[in-house]
Amino acid sequence: MATINATISVNSDIMSYPVRINKTMTMKKAGSCHGLEETTGMRTKKFTSTDDAVIVEHDELTDNQAHKLYIRNTSANKANFFYVSYHASTADATTTEPIGKLYGGDWMLMPYDGNTNISVASSTSDTQVLEYMLFADGIIAAAG
Amino acid sequence: MATTTASVSISSSDLLPGSNLSINASSTLMKTGLTTGMELMEMGNAEIAKDYEAQLFADGPATDNGAYFIYICNNSTDDTYYIEYKIHETVIGGLYAGDWMFVPYNASDGDAEIEVKGLLGTNKIEYAMFKTAWTLPAAES
Repeated sequence: MATINATISVNSDIMSYPVRINKTMTMKKAGSCHGLEETTGMRTKKFTSTDDAVIVEHDELTDNQAHKLYIRNTSANKANFFYVSYHASTADATTTEPIGKLYGGDWMLMPYDGNTNISVASSTSDTQVLEYMLFADGIIAAAG
Repeated sequence: MATTTASVSISSSDLLPGSNLSINASSTLMKTGLTTGMELMEMGNAEIAKDYEAQLFADGPATDNGAYFIYICNNSTDDTYYIEYKIHETVIGGLYAGDWMFVPYNASDGDAEIEVKGLLGTNKIEYAMFKTAWTLPAAES
């Protein structure tokens, strides 16, 4: 059993008092005290067009489990972004279901049930790089 | 202008044989338009009972296709407890006891409300949304 810890820290002066969020989780299998022990590995992908791309194929994963997906737009340009969608092949503003827009430098960590692909699309033909890593609660080995 | 920074650290010494995993990232949350920090937020906590489906954030007050971030943590301690995170009627994933999530949200259309549903136990959650813009409902006359 592996131990994977993830800590979030949010600091803000939006309110008239300091807003602080600090939380650490240990990634566990669904409904279990046992930690996740599989990953598809850290990947980076350079995009130079606005074409849709699948970054996580759900058929490589066990359905309805406690997968976790980390994604970061490594670009420095805050004017550009990636659409990230829970969709078989398409990512845009309206396709069911857009998760959100990840601007340059932004990151996300989300639970993922593994039932549908995760697709992305760059907002620009300028070069943007996405890094992502799936922490899996069950990987299905590719058929030979 | 407010400044909101969100940082993450992911580490493991035994997931990848022979190497330590260490991911660190930080970003400053900006409004749509990108040069001004987010200046609106709301946060709260709630109990989500088994089979109860709650609307955490309505899509109506948000600017369509804007820039938002959502944080949710399931503070339950029983490992079997969890909630589903949903956008409209689409389940994205399960947030189990002790899990947190931090995701962008773009309020894409009129069917993009954020929902959570309790699957086991009474889940204690805390949540926050960092917003580009938000229009409160008009007062009833």
